[in-house]
Amino acid sequence: MLRTMILLVAVLAFAGGFMPAVAADTAATAPGRRVHVILVDKMAYGPMPTGVRAGDIIEWANHDILEHSATARDGRFDVDLKPGASAHITATAGTLAFFCKFHPTMTGSVVVK
Amino acid sequence: MNKSLLALALTLGLGSLAGVHAATPAPAINDAQIAHIAYTAGVIDVTAAKQALQKSHSADVRAFAEEMARDHAAVNDQALALAKKLGVTPADNATSQSLAKGAAAEQKKLAALSGAAYDKAYADNEVAFHKAVLTALDGTLIPSTQNAELKSLLETGSKLFHSHEMHAEHLAQSLK
Repeated sequence: MLRTMILLVAVLAFAGGFMPAVAADTAATAPGRRVHVILVDKMAYGPMPTGVRAGDIIEWANHDILEHSATARDGRFDVDLKPGASAHITATAGTLAFFCKFHPTMTGSVVVK
Repeated sequence: MNKSLLALALTLGLGSLAGVHAATPAPAINDAQIAHIAYTAGVIDVTAAKQALQKSHSADVRAFAEEMARDHAAVNDQALALAKKLGVTPADNATSQSLAKGAAAEQKKLAALSGAAYDKAYADNEVAFHKAVLTALDGTLIPSTQNAELKSLLETGSKLFHSHEMHAEHLAQSLK
């Protein structure tokens, strides 16, 4: 019984140890960390965020009826965006130029300081 | 370009020109007919894509065909949902019929080809098809559309066709 309890507590602690970290990544609750959302709709990326700093979260929210992606030109990231889905990355310093690999006429660029 | 697509561009193009010269009300094409033409164009490209997926062994051609099938099916699903919401039944018309007839003939021609010859013919036809539909969408269908939601969907469709046309041109050039 005691062993079972200890095991249960250990499992919960293990799960708890990871879950807040994932949640924090999504909600950017860490101090000084901000979320910048780029809306995707009607075959276009919305306005590009400004004032992005390394470590911030860049999230793409696909409101379009079509599947898209945010694919880095330099290969740093490649996120698929099903209709209605969102995906994010942690920003690293530099200019993040990206496009939709399914619809290359869709392009965007974010400056990260 | 196949005859039906040329007919589509000419018919719709002449329709809008006639409207300008005669200074009469907008050409007699209503939203239900416009929805049917746009939907038919989508169905045609999905059918062509399915044929390509059956016939082609080229990774690039297959990837392109998968994109066409996925995107046009998504737009058409949305068009059907919108028609249902608005209580509109897409109305069959001479342009839709001409388009479907021409596409069937084109598919028959493509069916007789194989290998590199098929791939090239499919890509070339996709370039012509997207150009023709774009001419109709931007020149006549979108300006003639009355319902704001349908107009918005067609505008997204226009951007999609532009992107597909660019992709088709790259594909066709790579197959030369």
